Amino acid sequence: MSYNCPKDNREFMKALEESGDMISIDQEVDWDMEMGAITRRVCEEQAPSPYFKNIKDYPGFESLGAPMATYRRLAIAMGLDAEAPIPEIANEYVKRTKEEPIAPVTVGKKDAPCKENILLGDDANLFHLPGPMVHGGDGGRYLATWHFVVSKDPDNEEINWGMYRMMVFDEKTMVGPVLPFSDMGKMFHGKYAPRNQNMPFAAVLSADPMSSLASCAPSPIPEDQFAGQLMGEAVEVVQCETCDLMVPASAEIIIEGEVIPGIEIEEAPFGEYTGYRTSPREPRTVYRIKAITYRNNPIMMISNMGMPVDEGQLLRSFSLGLEMHKLLESQGIPITGVYMLPESTHHMVVVGVKTAYTGIATQIGNLIYGSKLSPWFHMTIVVDEDTDIYSKDAVIHALSTKCHPIRDIHKYENAPGTPLNPFASPEERKVSMGAKVLFDCTFPLDWPKSDLPIRVSFDNVYPQEIQDKVNANWQKFGYK
Amino acid sequence: MAQKEYDTFVLTDPSAVPDEQQNVELIVRDLNPEDRRNKYRSFFAKANVSKDKSRYADVLWIRLGRGQLLNEPWSIEVQEEIDKFA
Repeated sequence: MSYNCPKDNREFMKALEESGDMISIDQEVDWDMEMGAITRRVCEEQAPSPYFKNIKDYPGFESLGAPMATYRRLAIAMGLDAEAPIPEIANEYVKRTKEEPIAPVTVGKKDAPCKENILLGDDANLFHLPGPMVHGGDGGRYLATWHFVVSKDPDNEEINWGMYRMMVFDEKTMVGPVLPFSDMGKMFHGKYAPRNQNMPFAAVLSADPMSSLASCAPSPIPEDQFAGQLMGEAVEVVQCETCDLMVPASAEIIIEGEVIPGIEIEEAPFGEYTGYRTSPREPRTVYRIKAITYRNNPIMMISNMGMPVDEGQLLRSFSLGLEMHKLLESQGIPITGVYMLPESTHHMVVVGVKTAYTGIATQIGNLIYGSKLSPWFHMTIVVDEDTDIYSKDAVIHALSTKCHPIRDIHKYENAPGTPLNPFASPEERKVSMGAKVLFDCTFPLDWPKSDLPIRVSFDNVYPQEIQDKVNANWQKFGYK
Repeated sequence: MAQKEYDTFVLTDPSAVPDEQQNVELIVRDLNPEDRRNKYRSFFAKANVSKDKSRYADVLWIRLGRGQLLNEPWSIEVQEEIDKFA
Protein backbone atom coordinates (compact mmCIF):
# COMPACT_ATOMS: atom_id res chain seq x y z
CA MET A 1 0.00 0.00 0.00
CA SER A 2 1.18 3.48 -0.81
CA TYR A 3 1.98 5.72 2.13
CA ASN A 4 1.44 8.90 0.06
CA CYS A 5 5.05 10.02 0.30
CA PRO A 6 6.14 12.76 -2.10
CA LYS A 7 7.09 11.03 -5.35
CA ASP A 8 9.90 13.40 -6.19
CA ASN A 9 11.82 16.41 -4.98
CA ARG A 10 9.25 18.84 -6.37
CA GLU A 11 6.24 17.23 -4.69
CA PHE A 12 8.23 17.29 -1.47
CA MET A 13 9.00 21.00 -1.85
CA LYS A 14 5.35 21.75 -2.55
CA ALA A 15 4.41 19.98 0.68
CA LEU A 16 7.10 21.88 2.59
CA GLU A 17 5.80 25.17 1.26
CA GLU A 18 2.21 24.33 2.22
CA SER A 19 3.19 23.44 5.78
CA GLY A 20 5.36 26.55 6.20
CA ASP A 21 8.57 24.51 6.32
CA MET A 22 10.22 26.20 3.32
CA ILE A 23 11.07 29.81 2.48
CA SER A 24 11.57 30.99 -1.12
CA ILE A 25 14.52 33.32 -1.62
CA ASP A 26 14.21 35.30 -4.86
CA GLN A 27 17.23 37.56 -4.45
CA GLU A 28 20.52 36.43 -5.97
CA VAL A 29 22.70 34.34 -3.69
CA ASP A 30 26.26 33.26 -4.33
CA TRP A 31 27.16 29.56 -4.61
CA ASP A 32 30.53 30.58 -3.14
CA MET A 33 29.81 30.22 0.61
CA GLU A 34 26.66 32.40 0.78
CA MET A 35 24.21 29.53 0.10
CA GLY A 36 26.20 27.44 2.54
CA ALA A 37 26.14 30.11 5.22
CA ILE A 38 22.38 30.55 4.94
CA THR A 39 21.85 26.80 5.10
CA ARG A 40 24.19 26.49 8.08
CA ARG A 41 22.28 29.11 10.06
CA VAL A 42 19.02 27.42 9.10
CA CYS A 43 20.33 24.15 10.58
CA GLU A 44 21.53 25.77 13.78
CA GLU A 45 18.21 27.57 14.26
CA GLN A 46 16.05 24.69 12.99
CA ALA A 47 14.46 27.18 10.59
CA PRO A 48 12.50 26.40 7.39
CA SER A 49 14.42 25.10 4.34
CA PRO A 50 15.74 27.89 2.11
CA TYR A 51 14.69 27.57 -1.56
CA PHE A 52 17.31 29.46 -3.59
CA LYS A 53 15.70 30.58 -6.85
CA ASN A 54 18.46 32.80 -8.20
CA ILE A 55 22.00 31.44 -8.01
CA LYS A 56 24.87 33.70 -9.09
CA ASP A 57 26.56 32.54 -12.32
CA TYR A 58 24.03 29.74 -12.82
CA PRO A 59 20.79 30.97 -14.41
CA GLY A 60 18.27 28.16 -14.81
CA PHE A 61 19.49 26.28 -11.74
CA GLU A 62 17.88 26.41 -8.32
CA SER A 63 18.71 24.88 -4.97
CA LEU A 64 17.10 23.76 -1.73
CA GLY A 65 19.05 23.86 1.51
CA ALA A 66 18.59 21.64 4.57
CA PRO A 67 15.83 19.53 3.02
CA MET A 68 15.28 17.18 5.97
CA ALA A 69 16.99 18.78 8.94
CA THR A 70 13.95 18.67 11.23
CA TYR A 71 11.56 15.95 12.38
CA ARG A 72 8.74 18.01 10.85
CA ARG A 73 10.32 17.74 7.40
CA LEU A 74 11.04 14.05 7.96
CA ALA A 75 7.37 13.50 8.83
CA ILE A 76 6.31 15.31 5.64
CA ALA A 77 8.75 13.22 3.61
CA MET A 78 7.19 10.08 5.05
CA GLY A 79 3.69 11.23 4.11
CA LEU A 80 2.78 11.97 7.75
CA ASP A 81 1.43 15.09 9.40
CA ALA A 82 4.15 17.67 10.04
CA GLU A 83 3.16 17.72 13.72
CA ALA A 84 3.67 13.97 14.18
CA PRO A 85 5.69 13.37 17.38
CA ILE A 86 8.99 11.52 17.20
CA PRO A 87 7.71 8.22 18.67
CA GLU A 88 4.93 8.16 16.07
CA ILE A 89 7.39 8.76 13.23
CA ALA A 90 9.66 6.07 14.67
CA ASN A 91 6.86 3.53 15.06
CA GLU A 92 5.70 4.19 11.50
CA TYR A 93 9.25 3.70 10.19
CA VAL A 94 9.65 0.42 12.06
CA LYS A 95 6.24 -0.77 10.87
CA ARG A 96 7.07 -0.07 7.23
CA THR A 97 10.46 -1.74 7.46
CA LYS A 98 8.77 -4.94 8.61
CA GLU A 99 6.77 -5.12 5.37
CA GLU A 100 8.07 -6.84 2.22
CA PRO A 101 10.71 -4.96 0.18
CA ILE A 102 9.39 -3.53 -3.09
CA ALA A 103 11.62 -3.82 -6.14
CA PRO A 104 11.95 -0.78 -8.41
CA VAL A 105 10.20 -0.64 -11.78
CA THR A 106 11.95 0.43 -14.96
CA VAL A 107 10.59 3.22 -17.13
CA GLY A 108 11.69 4.34 -20.58
CA LYS A 109 13.85 7.38 -21.12
CA LYS A 110 10.95 9.39 -22.52
CA ASP A 111 9.17 8.94 -19.20
CA ALA A 112 12.21 9.90 -17.13
CA PRO A 113 12.44 13.61 -16.24
CA CYS A 114 16.13 13.20 -15.36
CA LYS A 115 16.78 12.68 -19.09
CA GLU A 116 15.39 16.06 -20.16
CA ASN A 117 18.96 17.31 -20.63
CA ILE A 118 21.88 15.02 -21.50
CA LEU A 119 25.50 16.19 -21.52
CA LEU A 120 28.16 13.85 -22.87
CA GLY A 121 31.84 14.19 -23.78
CA ASP A 122 33.35 17.64 -23.20
CA ASP A 123 29.87 19.00 -22.43
CA ALA A 124 29.76 16.87 -19.30
CA ASN A 125 31.59 19.47 -17.24
CA LEU A 126 31.18 19.52 -13.47
CA PHE A 127 31.58 23.30 -13.39
CA HIS A 128 28.36 23.60 -15.39
CA LEU A 129 26.56 22.65 -12.18
CA PRO A 130 26.26 25.09 -9.25
CA GLY A 131 28.28 23.01 -6.82
CA PRO A 132 28.46 25.13 -3.68
CA MET A 133 31.48 26.04 -1.60
CA VAL A 134 29.62 24.82 1.45
CA HIS A 135 31.90 26.09 4.23
CA GLY A 136 34.78 28.54 4.35
CA GLY A 137 38.01 26.53 4.37
CA ASP A 138 36.65 23.47 2.57
CA GLY A 139 39.01 21.68 0.22
CA GLY A 140 36.74 22.32 -2.72
CA ARG A 141 33.20 22.60 -3.96
CA TYR A 142 31.00 19.72 -2.89
CA LEU A 143 28.45 18.91 -5.54
CA ALA A 144 27.19 15.92 -3.68
CA THR A 145 26.06 16.60 -0.14
CA TRP A 146 22.47 15.36 -0.28
CA HIS A 147 22.64 12.62 -2.83
CA PHE A 148 23.56 8.98 -3.18
CA VAL A 149 25.97 6.97 -5.25
CA VAL A 150 24.69 3.93 -7.14
CA SER A 151 27.09 1.03 -7.62
CA LYS A 152 26.80 -2.66 -8.36
CA ASP A 153 28.64 -5.67 -6.98
CA PRO A 154 30.60 -7.24 -9.86
CA ASP A 155 29.96 -10.78 -8.63
CA ASN A 156 26.36 -10.92 -7.49
CA GLU A 157 24.95 -7.80 -9.21
CA GLU A 158 23.67 -6.53 -5.86
CA ILE A 159 22.87 -2.82 -5.97
CA ASN A 160 24.10 -0.32 -3.41
CA TRP A 161 22.87 3.22 -2.85
CA GLY A 162 24.97 5.10 -0.33
CA MET A 163 25.87 8.68 0.59
CA TYR A 164 29.54 9.24 -0.09
CA ARG A 165 30.60 12.88 -0.20
CA MET A 166 32.16 14.05 -3.47
CA MET A 167 34.41 17.07 -3.93
CA VAL A 168 34.89 18.58 -7.38
CA PHE A 169 38.55 18.45 -8.37
CA ASP A 170 38.34 19.53 -12.02
CA GLU A 171 35.89 19.44 -14.93
CA LYS A 172 35.87 15.67 -15.07
CA THR A 173 37.04 14.53 -11.67
CA MET A 174 35.55 14.22 -8.22
CA VAL A 175 37.24 12.79 -5.14
CA GLY A 176 35.96 11.54 -1.83
CA PRO A 177 36.41 9.06 1.01
CA VAL A 178 35.12 5.54 0.45
CA LEU A 179 35.84 3.91 3.79
CA PRO A 180 36.75 0.22 3.59
CA PHE A 181 34.01 -0.93 5.96
CA SER A 182 31.26 0.83 3.98
CA ASP A 183 29.18 -1.16 1.51
CA MET A 184 30.65 0.59 -1.53
CA GLY A 185 34.09 0.40 0.07
CA LYS A 186 33.83 -3.37 0.34
CA MET A 187 32.80 -3.49 -3.31
CA PHE A 188 35.43 -1.16 -4.67
CA HIS A 189 38.42 -1.87 -2.44
CA GLY A 190 37.56 -5.56 -2.05
CA LYS A 191 36.58 -6.50 -5.61
CA TYR A 192 37.04 -3.92 -8.37
CA ALA A 193 40.40 -2.50 -7.29
CA PRO A 194 42.19 -5.86 -6.78
CA ARG A 195 41.10 -6.79 -10.31
CA ASN A 196 42.24 -3.38 -11.57
CA GLN A 197 38.72 -2.75 -12.89
CA ASN A 198 37.01 0.61 -13.07
CA MET A 199 33.75 0.62 -11.12
CA PRO A 200 30.79 2.27 -12.87
CA PHE A 201 28.90 4.71 -10.65
CA ALA A 202 26.00 7.11 -10.87
CA ALA A 203 25.67 9.98 -8.41
CA VAL A 204 21.99 10.81 -7.89
CA LEU A 205 21.56 14.42 -6.80
CA SER A 206 18.20 15.34 -5.29
CA ALA A 207 16.02 12.26 -5.56
CA ASP A 208 12.65 11.74 -3.91
CA PRO A 209 13.00 12.00 -0.12
CA MET A 210 12.44 8.31 0.69
CA SER A 211 15.14 7.21 -1.75
CA SER A 212 17.49 9.67 -0.07
CA LEU A 213 16.50 8.38 3.36
CA ALA A 214 16.97 4.76 2.24
CA SER A 215 20.44 5.54 0.94
CA CYS A 216 21.66 6.87 4.28
CA ALA A 217 19.85 4.34 6.45
CA PRO A 218 21.57 1.16 7.55
CA SER A 219 19.54 -1.77 6.26
CA PRO A 220 20.37 -5.25 5.02
CA ILE A 221 17.86 -4.76 2.19
CA PRO A 222 19.23 -3.32 -1.08
CA GLU A 223 18.39 0.36 -0.94
CA ASP A 224 16.47 0.48 -4.23
CA GLN A 225 14.03 -2.00 -2.66
CA PHE A 226 14.22 -0.42 0.78
CA ALA A 227 13.10 2.92 -0.70
CA GLY A 228 10.06 1.16 -2.16
CA GLN A 229 9.37 -0.40 1.23
CA LEU A 230 9.42 3.04 2.89
CA MET A 231 7.16 4.53 0.20
CA GLY A 232 4.83 1.56 -0.03
CA GLU A 233 5.29 1.55 -3.78
CA ALA A 234 8.05 0.94 -6.30
CA VAL A 235 10.61 3.59 -7.16
CA GLU A 236 10.66 4.27 -10.89
CA VAL A 237 14.15 3.88 -12.31
CA VAL A 238 15.76 4.42 -15.70
CA GLN A 239 19.00 3.17 -17.18
CA CYS A 240 22.08 5.40 -17.25
CA GLU A 241 23.49 6.71 -20.53
CA THR A 242 26.95 5.20 -20.20
CA CYS A 243 26.47 2.01 -18.16
CA ASP A 244 23.77 -0.42 -17.08
CA LEU A 245 23.17 1.12 -13.65
CA MET A 246 19.61 2.22 -12.92
CA VAL A 247 18.78 5.57 -11.29
CA PRO A 248 15.55 7.15 -10.01
CA ALA A 249 13.81 8.58 -13.06
CA SER A 250 12.52 11.68 -11.29
CA ALA A 251 15.85 12.72 -9.73
CA GLU A 252 16.98 16.25 -10.50
CA ILE A 253 20.58 15.55 -11.61
CA ILE A 254 22.54 12.39 -12.44
CA ILE A 255 26.33 12.28 -12.78
CA GLU A 256 27.65 9.11 -14.42
CA GLY A 257 31.17 7.81 -14.58
CA GLU A 258 33.68 5.36 -13.18
CA VAL A 259 35.58 5.01 -9.92
CA ILE A 260 39.24 4.56 -10.84
CA PRO A 261 41.56 2.12 -9.06
CA GLY A 262 45.28 2.71 -8.71
CA ILE A 263 45.15 6.47 -8.21
CA GLU A 264 44.12 8.65 -5.30
CA ILE A 265 43.91 12.43 -5.11
CA GLU A 266 43.84 14.72 -2.09
CA GLU A 267 40.36 15.46 -0.78
CA ALA A 268 39.02 17.55 2.10
CA PRO A 269 39.02 19.23 4.51
CA PHE A 270 35.25 19.44 4.82
CA GLY A 271 32.85 20.45 7.57
CA GLU A 272 31.71 17.09 8.83
CA TYR A 273 28.70 15.64 10.59
CA THR A 274 30.47 15.72 13.94
CA GLY A 275 30.39 19.52 13.85
CA TYR A 276 34.14 19.75 13.18
CA ARG A 277 36.62 19.50 10.37
CA THR A 278 38.43 16.49 11.77
CA SER A 279 39.68 14.23 9.04
CA PRO A 280 42.69 15.70 7.30
CA ARG A 281 43.16 16.44 3.66
CA GLU A 282 44.60 13.24 2.28
CA PRO A 283 44.56 11.02 -0.82
CA ARG A 284 41.11 9.60 -1.44
CA THR A 285 39.08 7.72 -4.05
CA VAL A 286 38.78 9.18 -7.55
CA TYR A 287 35.60 9.42 -9.65
CA ARG A 288 35.91 10.29 -13.36
CA ILE A 289 32.75 11.43 -15.03
CA LYS A 290 31.34 10.58 -18.45
CA ALA A 291 27.86 12.09 -18.52
CA ILE A 292 25.55 14.50 -16.73
CA THR A 293 21.79 14.36 -17.16
CA TYR A 294 19.26 16.63 -15.49
CA ARG A 295 15.69 17.83 -15.37
CA ASN A 296 14.71 21.16 -16.85
CA ASN A 297 15.39 23.91 -14.28
CA PRO A 298 17.05 21.47 -11.91
CA ILE A 299 16.83 22.02 -8.17
CA MET A 300 19.94 20.83 -6.37
CA MET A 301 19.73 20.01 -2.68
CA ILE A 302 22.41 21.08 -0.24
CA SER A 303 23.06 19.55 3.11
CA ASN A 304 25.38 21.61 5.28
CA MET A 305 27.08 19.45 7.85
CA GLY A 306 28.34 21.09 11.00
CA MET A 307 27.01 21.86 14.44
CA PRO A 308 23.65 20.12 15.00
CA VAL A 309 21.13 19.65 13.62
CA ASP A 310 21.46 18.87 9.91
CA GLU A 311 19.74 16.10 7.99
CA GLY A 312 22.76 13.83 8.09
CA GLN A 313 22.71 13.90 11.87
CA LEU A 314 18.95 13.67 12.13
CA LEU A 315 18.34 10.90 9.62
CA ARG A 316 21.35 8.79 10.53
CA SER A 317 20.41 9.08 14.19
CA PHE A 318 16.83 8.19 13.41
CA SER A 319 17.60 5.18 11.24
CA LEU A 320 20.62 3.91 13.19
CA GLY A 321 18.63 4.01 16.41
CA LEU A 322 15.75 2.13 14.87
CA GLU A 323 18.05 -0.52 13.36
CA MET A 324 19.36 -1.02 16.90
CA HIS A 325 15.76 -1.27 18.04
CA LYS A 326 15.13 -4.08 15.54
CA LEU A 327 18.36 -5.84 16.45
CA LEU A 328 17.62 -5.84 20.18
CA GLU A 329 14.01 -6.83 19.60
CA SER A 330 15.11 -9.72 17.39
CA GLN A 331 17.23 -10.99 20.28
CA GLY A 332 14.30 -10.95 22.68
CA ILE A 333 15.61 -8.08 24.81
CA PRO A 334 12.61 -6.47 26.57
CA ILE A 335 13.31 -2.97 25.31
CA THR A 336 10.81 -0.16 25.69
CA GLY A 337 12.42 1.93 22.94
CA VAL A 338 15.66 3.09 21.34
CA TYR A 339 16.46 6.70 20.52
CA MET A 340 19.64 8.13 19.12
CA LEU A 341 20.00 11.83 19.85
CA PRO A 342 20.62 13.87 16.67
CA GLU A 343 22.38 16.46 18.83
CA SER A 344 24.95 13.78 19.60
CA THR A 345 25.79 13.62 15.88
CA HIS A 346 24.62 10.00 16.02
CA HIS A 347 27.24 9.07 18.57
CA MET A 348 24.94 8.48 21.54
CA VAL A 349 22.11 5.97 21.69
CA VAL A 350 19.61 5.72 24.52
CA VAL A 351 18.04 2.32 25.12
CA GLY A 352 15.00 1.96 27.34
CA VAL A 353 14.57 -1.50 28.84
CA LYS A 354 12.56 -3.41 31.38
CA THR A 355 15.24 -4.57 33.79
CA ALA A 356 14.15 -8.19 33.70
CA TYR A 357 17.43 -9.66 34.85
CA THR A 358 20.85 -8.69 36.13
CA GLY A 359 23.39 -7.72 33.48
CA ILE A 360 20.85 -6.70 30.88
CA ALA A 361 22.58 -3.38 30.20
CA THR A 362 25.90 -5.12 29.54
CA GLN A 363 24.15 -7.55 27.22
CA ILE A 364 22.67 -4.62 25.29
CA GLY A 365 26.10 -2.99 25.04
CA ASN A 366 27.68 -6.19 23.75
CA LEU A 367 24.96 -6.69 21.15
CA ILE A 368 24.98 -3.23 19.66
CA TYR A 369 28.74 -2.78 19.80
CA GLY A 370 29.08 -6.16 18.10
CA SER A 371 26.89 -5.09 15.18
CA LYS A 372 28.20 -3.87 11.82
CA LEU A 373 26.83 -0.42 12.57
CA SER A 374 28.97 0.12 15.63
CA PRO A 375 31.79 2.14 13.98
CA TRP A 376 29.35 5.05 13.74
CA PHE A 377 28.62 5.48 17.44
CA HIS A 378 30.36 4.97 20.72
CA MET A 379 28.12 5.96 23.65
CA THR A 380 25.23 3.86 24.89
CA ILE A 381 22.98 4.87 27.75
CA VAL A 382 20.70 2.17 29.09
CA VAL A 383 17.78 3.45 31.15
CA ASP A 384 14.86 1.68 32.76
CA GLU A 385 11.25 2.14 31.73
CA ASP A 386 10.89 4.96 34.24
CA THR A 387 12.90 7.28 31.97
CA ASP A 388 11.51 8.99 28.86
CA ILE A 389 14.16 8.15 26.23
CA TYR A 390 13.04 11.05 24.01
CA SER A 391 13.58 13.63 26.76
CA LYS A 392 17.14 14.92 26.94
CA ASP A 393 16.39 16.31 30.41
CA ALA A 394 15.17 12.94 31.66
CA VAL A 395 18.15 11.10 30.14
CA ILE A 396 20.65 13.55 31.64
CA HIS A 397 18.92 13.18 34.98
CA ALA A 398 19.10 9.37 34.82
CA LEU A 399 22.74 9.50 33.74
CA SER A 400 23.61 11.88 36.55
CA THR A 401 21.79 10.02 39.29
CA LYS A 402 21.54 6.30 38.49
CA CYS A 403 24.89 5.60 36.85
CA HIS A 404 27.59 4.68 39.38
CA PRO A 405 30.81 6.40 38.25
CA ILE A 406 32.86 3.25 38.79
CA ARG A 407 30.53 0.27 38.71
CA ASP A 408 28.15 1.31 35.93
CA ILE A 409 30.50 2.71 33.30
CA HIS A 410 31.87 -0.03 31.05
CA LYS A 411 34.63 0.73 28.55
CA TYR A 412 35.39 -1.11 25.32
CA GLU A 413 38.87 -0.65 23.91
CA ASN A 414 40.27 -1.43 20.45
CA ALA A 415 36.87 -1.10 18.82
CA PRO A 416 36.19 -0.04 15.23
CA GLY A 417 35.65 3.69 14.75
CA THR A 418 35.97 6.22 11.96
CA PRO A 419 38.66 8.73 11.02
CA LEU A 420 36.08 11.45 11.63
CA ASN A 421 35.93 11.06 15.41
CA PRO A 422 37.15 14.38 16.86
CA PHE A 423 38.25 12.70 20.11
CA ALA A 424 40.49 10.18 18.36
CA SER A 425 44.22 10.73 18.26
CA PRO A 426 45.85 11.30 14.85
CA GLU A 427 47.22 7.73 15.04
CA GLU A 428 43.79 6.28 15.86
CA ARG A 429 42.20 8.21 12.98
CA LYS A 430 44.65 6.74 10.50
CA VAL A 431 43.46 3.20 11.23
CA SER A 432 39.84 4.04 12.11
CA MET A 433 40.39 2.89 15.68
CA GLY A 434 37.68 3.78 18.14
CA ALA A 435 36.55 3.06 21.67
CA LYS A 436 33.12 2.60 23.21
CA VAL A 437 31.44 3.24 26.51
CA LEU A 438 28.28 1.95 28.12
CA PHE A 439 26.45 3.86 30.86
CA ASP A 440 24.19 1.57 32.87
CA CYS A 441 21.50 3.81 34.33
CA THR A 442 19.37 1.06 35.82
CA PHE A 443 19.20 0.33 39.52
CA PRO A 444 20.61 -3.11 40.42
CA LEU A 445 17.95 -5.76 40.87
CA ASP A 446 19.57 -7.19 43.98
CA TRP A 447 19.00 -4.05 46.05
CA PRO A 448 16.28 -4.47 48.67
CA LYS A 449 13.09 -2.79 47.49
CA SER A 450 13.06 -0.64 50.60
CA ASP A 451 16.47 0.78 49.58
CA LEU A 452 15.42 1.82 46.08
CA PRO A 453 15.38 5.61 45.65
CA ILE A 454 11.98 7.02 44.75
CA ARG A 455 11.75 9.51 41.89
CA VAL A 456 10.31 12.74 43.23
CA SER A 457 8.23 14.19 40.43
CA PHE A 458 4.75 15.54 39.90
CA ASP A 459 3.58 12.33 38.27
CA ASN A 460 5.13 10.00 40.84
CA VAL A 461 4.68 11.27 44.38
CA TYR A 462 1.15 12.65 44.41
CA PRO A 463 -2.11 10.75 44.41
CA GLN A 464 -3.94 10.77 41.07
CA GLU A 465 -6.78 12.87 42.46
CA ILE A 466 -4.36 15.60 43.51
CA GLN A 467 -2.68 15.56 40.09
CA ASP A 468 -6.08 15.78 38.37
CA LYS A 469 -7.13 18.68 40.57
CA VAL A 470 -3.91 20.59 39.93
CA ASN A 471 -4.16 19.93 36.19
CA ALA A 472 -7.79 21.01 36.06
CA ASN A 473 -7.01 24.32 37.74
CA TRP A 474 -3.65 24.96 36.09
CA GLN A 475 -4.82 27.66 33.68
CA LYS A 476 -7.06 29.17 36.30
CA PHE A 477 -3.96 29.68 38.42
CA GLY A 478 -2.56 31.78 35.57
CA TYR A 479 -0.24 29.21 34.01
CA LYS A 480 -0.31 28.38 30.30
CA MET B 1 48.04 39.69 -17.89
CA ALA B 2 46.27 40.12 -14.56
CA GLN B 3 47.86 38.67 -11.50
CA LYS B 4 46.69 35.13 -10.87
CA GLU B 5 45.74 33.90 -7.42
CA TYR B 6 45.97 30.31 -6.34
CA ASP B 7 45.93 28.46 -3.08
CA THR B 8 47.33 25.15 -1.93
CA PHE B 9 47.11 22.98 1.16
CA VAL B 10 50.32 22.39 3.10
CA LEU B 11 49.92 19.20 5.08
CA THR B 12 53.10 19.50 7.12
CA ASP B 13 54.46 22.24 9.35
CA PRO B 14 54.81 25.18 6.92
CA SER B 15 57.90 26.38 8.74
CA ALA B 16 59.58 23.14 7.69
CA VAL B 17 58.93 23.84 4.01
CA PRO B 18 62.01 25.25 2.22
CA ASP B 19 61.86 28.98 1.49
CA GLU B 20 62.45 28.35 -2.20
CA GLN B 21 61.27 25.36 -4.23
CA GLN B 22 62.05 24.86 -7.91
CA ASN B 23 60.12 22.57 -10.26
CA VAL B 24 58.03 21.23 -7.44
CA GLU B 25 54.79 19.33 -8.10
CA LEU B 26 51.78 20.41 -6.09
CA ILE B 27 48.02 20.68 -6.27
CA VAL B 28 46.76 24.25 -6.58
CA ARG B 29 43.30 25.75 -6.85
CA ASP B 30 42.51 28.58 -9.25
CA LEU B 31 40.92 31.40 -7.23
CA ASN B 32 40.34 33.96 -9.99
CA PRO B 33 39.60 32.17 -13.27
CA GLU B 34 38.29 34.04 -16.29
CA ASP B 35 34.98 32.18 -16.03
CA ARG B 36 33.90 32.51 -12.39
CA ARG B 37 32.08 29.18 -12.59
CA ASN B 38 35.53 27.53 -12.63
CA LYS B 39 36.62 29.00 -9.29
CA TYR B 40 38.35 26.46 -7.04
CA ARG B 41 39.23 24.24 -10.00
CA SER B 42 42.18 22.15 -8.83
CA PHE B 43 45.07 20.90 -10.90
CA PHE B 44 48.46 19.30 -10.50
CA ALA B 45 51.07 21.93 -11.33
CA LYS B 46 54.81 21.91 -11.86
CA ALA B 47 55.83 25.23 -10.37
CA ASN B 48 58.39 27.38 -8.65
CA VAL B 49 57.27 28.45 -5.20
CA SER B 50 58.73 31.03 -2.83
CA LYS B 51 57.82 32.12 0.65
CA ASP B 52 58.79 35.61 -0.54
CA LYS B 53 55.49 36.99 -1.78
CA SER B 54 57.19 39.29 -4.28
CA ARG B 55 59.51 36.69 -5.83
CA TYR B 56 57.04 35.47 -8.48
CA ALA B 57 54.23 37.27 -10.22
CA ASP B 58 51.35 35.18 -8.99
CA VAL B 59 49.95 34.81 -5.48
CA LEU B 60 49.84 31.51 -3.63
CA TRP B 61 47.70 31.46 -0.51
CA ILE B 62 48.50 28.75 1.99
CA ARG B 63 46.00 26.64 3.87
CA LEU B 64 46.74 23.96 6.43
CA GLY B 65 45.28 20.47 6.49
CA ARG B 66 42.03 21.47 8.10
CA GLY B 67 41.53 24.60 6.06
CA GLN B 68 43.23 27.20 8.25
CA LEU B 69 44.40 30.13 6.09
CA LEU B 70 47.81 31.63 6.79
CA ASN B 71 47.89 35.42 6.98
CA GLU B 72 50.67 35.99 4.49
CA PRO B 73 50.67 34.48 0.99
CA TRP B 74 53.64 33.00 -0.82
CA SER B 75 54.32 33.51 -4.52
CA ILE B 76 54.24 31.07 -7.41
CA GLU B 77 55.20 30.64 -11.03
CA VAL B 78 53.19 27.84 -12.63
CA GLN B 79 55.26 26.22 -15.36
CA GLU B 80 52.80 23.63 -16.57
CA GLU B 81 49.66 21.75 -15.68
CA ILE B 82 50.16 18.00 -15.30
CA ASP B 83 47.38 15.75 -16.55
CA LYS B 84 47.35 12.64 -14.39
CA PHE B 85 44.78 10.97 -16.63
CA ALA B 86 46.46 11.47 -20.02
